[in-house]
Amino acid sequence: MDRAAADGEGEPARAPLLACSGLVKRFGDRVAVDGVSFAIAPGETYGLLGPNGAGKTTTIRLVCGLLARDGGEVLLDGRPVDRAHADTRSAIGFVPQEVALYPDLSAAENLRFFGRLYGMGGADLDQRVAEVLDLVDLADRAGDRVDTFSGGMKRRLNIGAGLVHRPRLLVLDEPTVGVDPQSRHAILERVQALGSQGMAVLYTTHYMEEAERICDRVGIVDRGRLVAEGTRRELVAHIAEHDHVKLSATGDLAAFAEACRAAEGVSQVDVGAGEVDVVVDDGRRFLPRVVEVAERCGVAISGIEVTEPDLEAVFLHLTGTALRE
Amino acid sequence: MRPALLIAGKDLRLRFRDRSALVLGFVAPLAIATVMSFAFGGAADFHVTVVVVDRDGGDLAAALTSVLRSDDLQEILTVETADSVAEASRTIDDGDAQAGLVIPEGFTDAVAGPSPKGLEVLTSVDDAIAGQVVRSIASSFTAQLDADRLSVATALAAGAPADDLEALVAAATEERLPVALAEQDTGARPLTALSYYAPGMGIFFLFFAISFTARGWYAEAREGTLERMAAAASTGQILLGKAISVFAYGLASLGTMALVTSVVFGADWGGPLPAATLITAVVLSVVCLTAFVIVVARTERQAEGLSSMLVFGLALLGGNFVVISGAPVLLRRLALITPNGWALRGFVDVSTGPHAMAAVWTPLAGILAFSAVVAAITAALARRMELP
Ligand SMILES: Nc1ncnc2c1ncn2[C@@H]1O[C@H](COP(=O)(O)OP(=O)(O)O)[C@@H](O)[C@H]1O
Ligand SMILES: [Mg+2]
Repeated sequence: MDRAAADGEGEPARAPLLACSGLVKRFGDRVAVDGVSFAIAPGETYGLLGPNGAGKTTTIRLVCGLLARDGGEVLLDGRPVDRAHADTRSAIGFVPQEVALYPDLSAAENLRFFGRLYGMGGADLDQRVAEVLDLVDLADRAGDRVDTFSGGMKRRLNIGAGLVHRPRLLVLDEPTVGVDPQSRHAILERVQALGSQGMAVLYTTHYMEEAERICDRVGIVDRGRLVAEGTRRELVAHIAEHDHVKLSATGDLAAFAEACRAAEGVSQVDVGAGEVDVVVDDGRRFLPRVVEVAERCGVAISGIEVTEPDLEAVFLHLTGTALRE
Repeated sequence: MRPALLIAGKDLRLRFRDRSALVLGFVAPLAIATVMSFAFGGAADFHVTVVVVDRDGGDLAAALTSVLRSDDLQEILTVETADSVAEASRTIDDGDAQAGLVIPEGFTDAVAGPSPKGLEVLTSVDDAIAGQVVRSIASSFTAQLDADRLSVATALAAGAPADDLEALVAAATEERLPVALAEQDTGARPLTALSYYAPGMGIFFLFFAISFTARGWYAEAREGTLERMAAAASTGQILLGKAISVFAYGLASLGTMALVTSVVFGADWGGPLPAATLITAVVLSVVCLTAFVIVVARTERQAEGLSSMLVFGLALLGGNFVVISGAPVLLRRLALITPNGWALRGFVDVSTGPHAMAAVWTPLAGILAFSAVVAAITAALARRMELP
């Protein structure tokens, strides 16, 4: 993970595959996307995290050239992406939020159709369709009509349909909405695997946990604006919140608290009945020390819990509203 | 071009897997043509006894009953009466009649109002054809009423003084019903009813392609497949693909209708070349109308509303339900703003004349002019179009 972390300022580590700058889209008076810029490197998974109506889908449609922009530009490998440029378009694999498949066609027929639209054909297409069906675990259902599939299967095939033409950038719009936990897990695993195989991925979600789990970098969107961007660590550092280490313990807690206060990185210690809450820069690194200190003070620890601030907290901090209602 | 052909191929494949599209495109027009060939062909061994339940008791109900009892229908239809729907159903169940027709209460009064009352047809599972015959007679009658209402409304809109309204209504209802027009002498050869209604019904059902293609466009937008296609192909290519699929489907549907009705029932479509020319032209106009609906409508609902308006408006105006040469001048004029009106006129001219292309040119020009106007408007609007 955190491949881009070393790079510091939230810029992709390598030359970007996709570079968007100053994207603007208006619907009448409403500005749905308001000056959004970001870049994605090959092999990088970039998440757009924001609540419903934030402008994620609109941003994605601008990236794929499906909507006319009111401002800004989208470059793929330095070349503009729009409806007129078939070559850049075909480097992008688009997975819409809906299950965008023909229910009356079979899984293979769906993949074949979308592959052909991108100019594929012959043995190459046959082989690729088989490959993709394998990848989304539907090889045994290749000839079955999509309307006989479960929700999770449709979702997987939906992703597969965006992969047939071997895009270099995969764009997924909330692919796990309305999916059962098991299918969601399967989808996230696959997206992660694609990223580690060198595919650039643009992933939108309003689930904080998903962004944290699979995205190398996250852009936080609110009301059409990209309000912050970076790795999870960077974003969390940005809001200057700290980790909490909560201990359940018995013994001389006052002395223990005093000893903790002296430790490096600790900014605050609160003592309650049988409980101590330590606020520290890096909770994980502090763990071995706290055990050591407890031993020294003759305090017996019966439970330890480390909580790190998450993207939810970042979002709340930046926008003043909760990510989810 | 390749993406357009791929999209057309996909659409056609889906259409031929969709039972309702097959019914509308092939089964229904053929079934109705079959029924009409029985009804108008005077097949000696075909006979229906129909029980009429008159719950209206008005003039219009009497008119309908007398149509059913008319000499033209005597050979195929015997009319019985019943006092209640229950009694009629019993008669049908007992096998003493094959179909029933219920004239609802207020049928006569409703004809002057904004919404006509529908006739109910009682059918027997044992005799579906009899039910179809009665149904087609009933719908011809109501279509005729609608045409009358339309001609009256149009006359009023065109500035006919309201005093003339009653005279107009009277004139309109005195038109001959299509069922009374089994044979109409319009030239060298008699126009048989089947030779009129085979293209009439064929074109009417072809019009439904406008509706399901336009609705299909919005359904694809809703389901995201349109967006997915748009990620790979231009809007123009997608529209062209849809157009090609409507064109191919239309040719198949109307071509089948022409082939089957002429080979099996002896309908006269005017010979292969004139028929092919008119069929191609009218299918082209349907393609233009489909693109028009797609470009004008903003939602699936609007697409549905606009296309049904077009389907029924054009079919009524163009005379798909009534033999237009027996209609008042105004109606005949109105028919010539529609592509189907021109096509039907072409089919009449060519099937009653010497089967020559000479009879085709004027109707062909009319259809192409209509298509060109629709295409021009569509192209102008399409420029500003964004995907739904
Ligand atoms: N076609 C459209 N016409 C008008 N407003 C739109 C359209 N598409 C999106 N919007 C508006 O733009 C804003 C952003 O929407 P969207 O990009 O769908 O958000 P998200 O995907 O983050 O939920 C919303 O306020 C939405 O109502
Ligand atoms: Mg969205």
